[in-house]
Amino acid sequence: MIELQHVTKLYPASSRPALDDVSTEIDKGEFVFLIGSSGSGKSTFLRLLLKEDDPTRGNVIVNGKTLNTMSKWQVPKLRRTIGCVFQDFRLLRNRTVAQNVAFALEVINKPQRTIKRVVPEVLEMVGLEGKAHRLPSELSGGEQQRVAIARAFVNRPLVLLADEPTGNLDPETSEGIMLLLERINRTGTTVVMATHDYHIVDSMRRRVIELNGGALTRDQSRGVYGVGR
Amino acid sequence: MRVNFVLSEVATGLRRNLTMTVAMILTTAISLGLMGTGLLIAGMISDMKEIYYDKVQVSIFLADDVTDEQRSAIEQQLAGSPEVANHIYESKDEAYARFQQQFSQQPELVQNTPADALPESFRVELVNPERYEVIAAEFPNGQNGVDQVRDEGDFLDRLFSLLNGARNATIAVAVVQALAALLLISNTIQLAAFNRRNETNIMRLVGASRWYTQLPFILEAALAGLIGALLAIGGLVVTKVLFVDKTLAGPIRAGIIPPVDWGAIAFISPVIAAAGVGLAGVAAYVTLRLYVRI
Repeated sequence: MIELQHVTKLYPASSRPALDDVSTEIDKGEFVFLIGSSGSGKSTFLRLLLKEDDPTRGNVIVNGKTLNTMSKWQVPKLRRTIGCVFQDFRLLRNRTVAQNVAFALEVINKPQRTIKRVVPEVLEMVGLEGKAHRLPSELSGGEQQRVAIARAFVNRPLVLLADEPTGNLDPETSEGIMLLLERINRTGTTVVMATHDYHIVDSMRRRVIELNGGALTRDQSRGVYGVGR
Repeated sequence: MRVNFVLSEVATGLRRNLTMTVAMILTTAISLGLMGTGLLIAGMISDMKEIYYDKVQVSIFLADDVTDEQRSAIEQQLAGSPEVANHIYESKDEAYARFQQQFSQQPELVQNTPADALPESFRVELVNPERYEVIAAEFPNGQNGVDQVRDEGDFLDRLFSLLNGARNATIAVAVVQALAALLLISNTIQLAAFNRRNETNIMRLVGASRWYTQLPFILEAALAGLIGALLAIGGLVVTKVLFVDKTLAGPIRAGIIPPVDWGAIAFISPVIAAAGVGLAGVAAYVTLRLYVRI
């Protein structure tokens, strides 16, 4: 599903590589935590999977496609198979909950009929069925993140990338978000989640990939956040 | 392609940057208006060349005391000359009639000119207009009933170089304005892209095609270009009605300068519209490629 082969990423402004010879494989349907301190390369890892950036060396393979050799016009097609969730939600403030979710389908030219059917379905799944016509500013942080997850999942992606999705949320709310991500994972969607939240990592006991200064220092199934924490 | 979506994005974009949009439309309009004026002058010049160059190249004015023998000798010499393609005799009466017509707007001038003040002449069309010297040498001034030989081409050359200069200056200003318009379009599009970065970022992440993301911006610029072009065409129409048709009415009726007819404006309007829409669209596209990550 996702494979990195000796991936190194150098940014021109920095002498230290953001990713340093990272190789790993993530299978379909896995739930993976990507951990490490700030600047360890987690975000670069996710950006490479989206082909927001190209690796300096090595290969990135997503859904059987080698991203290095992929031409620019194929990138949108790749991204339709990947959902993204961020710490800052990234909702459109002047659109309602339902419009935010529908936006993701409208701009990839889904028929209006389909949109009318699937948006309420996915809002119900994330527990926002009564709030379809609210604006993001009228929702709590947890609810806003649910909207973002609904938007990321509404097109049934093969992979869901989450970059510190609970970074702005309190522990109880975070737990709700994690239950939702687990539920999405159970539908067969691969979930890769970058996080600092050791409570969550320790309690879920899923696969953990740890990056340190750009290098992959630990890859453990059913891992915890840190040894000796 | 979801037409409603694209159109509402375009409308939002134009409204959000209203002042920039107005500036963009006005500079585009001025540039295109000047371009249209340049094209009209160019058309006028070629019409005038047809009027003048084909008619007369050399005038041989006859002396007041010319005899019938001298006159027919000149005519025979012209008829026999290999340099002469055509010649017309104009009597004093005909010259006066033409004078009256040409200066019909200035009745005092006509009244103060006695009917016999204008000389009779031969109007000569040359096989090669540049061979004026040869004809001038054949008919020395002040001899054999010839008063003066005048190279009308020389005068026309000076007139047309003046008109060509006016045309070139107009087009040069149009080009400078077009440059300003293009830079403004580029700036407006960058601003629009910045204002809508949340939308475009999400579009990029969910896999909207490049085309889908960029089209609203390109249409936004193209629409501004079209409005600018319509203003420019309106400006040309107003100029024709209020300036050309009124102020220049006399010389036009006298056949001194050709009229600007509606056909000419109808002919250049689509050119102006296409230039406005095309340049604005291309400027927007290039801006998006070079400066904006979409």
